[in-house]
Amino acid sequence: MRRVASAVLVLWGAVTVTFLALHLIPGSIVDAIIGQSRVTPEIRAQIIQDYSLDKPLWQQYLGYLGRLLHGDLGHSYNQGVAVSTALEQQAGSTFALLLGGVAFALVGSVVVAVATANRPRWIRGPAATAEVVSVAVPSFWLGILLLTVFSFRLHWFPAIGANGFNGLVLPSIALGLAPAAMLSQVLRQGLERVLEEPFIITARARGLRSAAVLLRHALRHAVLPVVTLTGWLVGAFVSGAVVIESVFSRQGLGHLTVGAISQRDFPLVAAIVLISALVYVVVNLAVDALYPLLDPRLRKAPEVVR
Amino acid sequence: MPSSSRKLWALALPALLLTACSGAEAGDSPTASTGTPVSGGSLTFAVNTDGSCLDPHQSPADVDGLFSRPILDSLVSLSADGTIHPWLATEWSVSADQLTYSFTLRDGVTFSNGEKFDAAAVKANLDHIVAPATKSQLAAGTIATYAGTTVADPTHVQVTFKTPNSAFLPSLASAYLGIEAPSTLTKPPADLCTHIVGTGPFTSTGGYSKGKGIDYARNDAYNWAPGTAKHTGAAYLSQLSIKVVPEDASRYGALTSGQIDAIASVPPVNVAQLKNTPGFTVQAAAAPGGNYNYYPNTAKGVFADANVRKAFREGIDWQTIVSKLYFGQFQPAKGPLSPATVGYDKTIEAAYAYNADEANKLLDAAGWTGRDGEGYRTKNGARLTVRHPFLKAYAREQRDTLADQIQAAAKQIGIFVDNTNPDINAYLADVGAGNYDLADFSWQRSSPDALRTLFGAENAPKGGFGTNLSFTSDPAIDKDFTDALATTDLTKQAELYGDAQHRITDAVAVFPVYVFNYLLGSSTKVRDVQFEPQAFPTFYDAWKRP
Amino acid sequence: MRSRPGVVLSFVFLFVLALAAIWPHLFSATDPNAADIQSTLSPPSGQHWFGTDQNGRDIYARVVTGVRLSLLIGVTASALALIAGSAIGVLAAQGGRVLNTVVNRLLDIFLSIPGLLLVLLVIAVLGPGVRNSIIGLALVTTPGYARVVRGEVIRIRGAAYLEAAKALGWSRPQIVLRHLVPNALGPVLVLATIGIGAAISIGSSLSFLGLGPQAPTAEWGAMLSSSRDYFTVAWWPAIFPGLAITATVLAITVAGQFLQLRVEGRSQA
Repeated sequence: MRRVASAVLVLWGAVTVTFLALHLIPGSIVDAIIGQSRVTPEIRAQIIQDYSLDKPLWQQYLGYLGRLLHGDLGHSYNQGVAVSTALEQQAGSTFALLLGGVAFALVGSVVVAVATANRPRWIRGPAATAEVVSVAVPSFWLGILLLTVFSFRLHWFPAIGANGFNGLVLPSIALGLAPAAMLSQVLRQGLERVLEEPFIITARARGLRSAAVLLRHALRHAVLPVVTLTGWLVGAFVSGAVVIESVFSRQGLGHLTVGAISQRDFPLVAAIVLISALVYVVVNLAVDALYPLLDPRLRKAPEVVR
Repeated sequence: MPSSSRKLWALALPALLLTACSGAEAGDSPTASTGTPVSGGSLTFAVNTDGSCLDPHQSPADVDGLFSRPILDSLVSLSADGTIHPWLATEWSVSADQLTYSFTLRDGVTFSNGEKFDAAAVKANLDHIVAPATKSQLAAGTIATYAGTTVADPTHVQVTFKTPNSAFLPSLASAYLGIEAPSTLTKPPADLCTHIVGTGPFTSTGGYSKGKGIDYARNDAYNWAPGTAKHTGAAYLSQLSIKVVPEDASRYGALTSGQIDAIASVPPVNVAQLKNTPGFTVQAAAAPGGNYNYYPNTAKGVFADANVRKAFREGIDWQTIVSKLYFGQFQPAKGPLSPATVGYDKTIEAAYAYNADEANKLLDAAGWTGRDGEGYRTKNGARLTVRHPFLKAYAREQRDTLADQIQAAAKQIGIFVDNTNPDINAYLADVGAGNYDLADFSWQRSSPDALRTLFGAENAPKGGFGTNLSFTSDPAIDKDFTDALATTDLTKQAELYGDAQHRITDAVAVFPVYVFNYLLGSSTKVRDVQFEPQAFPTFYDAWKRP
Repeated sequence: MRSRPGVVLSFVFLFVLALAAIWPHLFSATDPNAADIQSTLSPPSGQHWFGTDQNGRDIYARVVTGVRLSLLIGVTASALALIAGSAIGVLAAQGGRVLNTVVNRLLDIFLSIPGLLLVLLVIAVLGPGVRNSIIGLALVTTPGYARVVRGEVIRIRGAAYLEAAKALGWSRPQIVLRHLVPNALGPVLVLATIGIGAAISIGSSLSFLGLGPQAPTAEWGAMLSSSRDYFTVAWWPAIFPGLAITATVLAITVAGQFLQLRVEGRSQA
């Protein structure tokens, strides 16, 4: 319950940040809200009324909070639609990309970590080097290289964002490679530590083969340190999606964000910032809730007390 | 009378420079009608620029004309040789004083929402275009002296003007004066920016969405093809989809990987490559009108001095830069107009030759004799700076690279071109107020009347939207334009527009850059994509070889 | 260090980068903005080691010139964040429980917004450009430093030698300056080193999106962005700036990890 309360607090803070940002934009607030679109005086008057711009700051703030609580994210005057509509149209594509990236990162890191943990130096060494390099490669450059080789040269994958599986392969790799490398480093270290624990040695003594030990017992424990990376991972994926969508000409929230910034469409930028804070908070809550399920020690704690 | 007016226009426009080429399958071009058209199938086409508003009555953008064309028909059609043909109007005539146009409308035409097309619909459309609430940025300008429309009976209508407008029929044939369903015209302008309803061969229920494009379905009831079309009845394609893909390499890659059927603006760097790829072809159509040009602000700043303007024109090797940068795919412009425009005067070309020595002499004579640490010329300690607000985010066709080249070339003669990159609001404010030395834009129009838009004194920016960015203000030039609009004598027109081109050249009111070439790349399965005279592709006759 | 050639190589590379940032002319005498329309997109050769771009500019000269800007963005943003983060961290650790909680919550809020989006929010407010990118990047990384500094200060505070100092009658500011800050600095500097790499990486993403320095400035991300239009016919403009970013970030990471091991070794000893 305390966790939920602090999550709500964080979200409220993020809302406050966007409110302050809006007021920090030089020039009139109405201009900041309409961005590059041109509107009639009636609409300007409407904006002043909607945002309570003729009232004291605290009333503006309460009004802003109130509208967000009712799910009203405002209107994008550049797009000519409600912000929520613009987000709805684009969310699916970004969700698919994130799903693809996360899936690639999870599968890739587990495979690499399991295949290289406690192995001879000639296997571990190159894998570790590849991981460090993969984290250093900028995702947009990787995207360009993948696109050039596999799409433009070899024609294996489509060149512009399609929502089909084929269209997702290259963007998912470009998005997921750095997180995958980070994860597999942590996983391998975790695995190697766990493999020295007494219960693994016991399991081995009971005659379980080493692959079975690795997968059934060790991996579950090795996953635990990954939880501490959750925040970093959410940030990496969401930030990555913005760049990757641009590289692959994909529709999506990232594409929308970059466009919104160049068109100075503040309501849209603010809404996307809020949505990503929400994602961060929800993912963290979910991981917190899942943690006891993963760690048998926490789950079994009451038994020990008894 | 109708036939005589048609004949008149047969000469009025030159044949659109249309070439088709395919290295792999010579002569196997999309315009060549080889084989029997097949009905059905879908075609996906990708363009490089996003639209702003689907309603062509409001938007001046080329791409919006392209987006709305499949949905909207016009009263008349214009063929590549410049002839006016029937479309929703079967016959027309012009009064002796050139002020009244009478149209006989086709019977039995319905809009895709079931409304009937009649004389009242024509009136509703023309009134909508000039209505202040529409805020038309182009269409209203083409009928600026519109006086009104009179409905005689459901199939007869008269359009009257306050002063003669000999460019009316070609304008009427463009998508910008396309006919929309009257009931939709009462909607707020913003609604029309995403959804329009017409009588055209295609309909779009989903409408246009920013950044994505637009999907169309065939209008099966269509039976009123323009006189310029190659067939009658419904379109061949059952589905048409136009996507917005600004990234050149992605658009090109999508075509060559077979993901889409055709693309606009094949990057010039890839044209040769695509021609050599089996199964693909490139069609080129030179656009008429005002080229992509740079315009000096002749009213104030460094370019108020004609010698400095002349030095900038002669001291930069514009033609070599264009030929090299666009790999020979775009022709260097050598005058205020595109050579594909009627009335283009070839005799002015010599004035646009490169001569660096002469440029340096002119600058010395103008008093820019000092040099600063970076090698730029100075006068009284001030650097010779040309302020060029350049919208990088909107740059297409490698115009940003071109701007870098111009900057580097200007440095050779000691001029600093400051390519500022303002946001669009700052840009519009600066341009509206004339706070710039150099401005760039392209202006594709099928009539030489484009000259009036670009150099007529009345079109200079006055705080708002203006197209005469050189602030040219010469009564002799303006007189050429009004006289040309008042005459239908083609020789006389050519003389008047020729005189204007010479005067504009003498005044150094333009730095011609390149003639836009519509480079349409497609799979050889795509057949019979046609071009409108303004060099937009049209898809009514298009079909796909299975 | 003998057993780790990668570490040696990284430090050597960083030294070379620093030289290139300070004296680019040591490495290239060519003007990075000199356009040559006659030799656009020419492949790597003896004359142009990395080839030329669409403007006929020498890519090698541009990559070398880009070092300064990238390091400037990375180092300045990290330095700003380090100063702000340390101040906040010390304040939170040394202040009362209420202050500690408030600061903690504030940091949570900023950490909840993904890095690039927070930078984009700053750019939406202040507009694009180098200076604003640096401000945004600094803002994004500040909470990380604050967290680590706070943790270190609290950890060290309990250490025995501080008790000794207190017993000797040192004043509170004296203790903070003489003991807390120097001891907390090790881990923070390690974080800063790695932070420079992250800032360079995000900074180049911004330029790639067209929100960083403006043309014709030679910046790696911007170079990659403009190379996109040509990579169907020319691979070199898309390769070398990317290699430069990767190598720089990699060298910083390896050096940072090495320093981390040293610092941890020292505090364990």
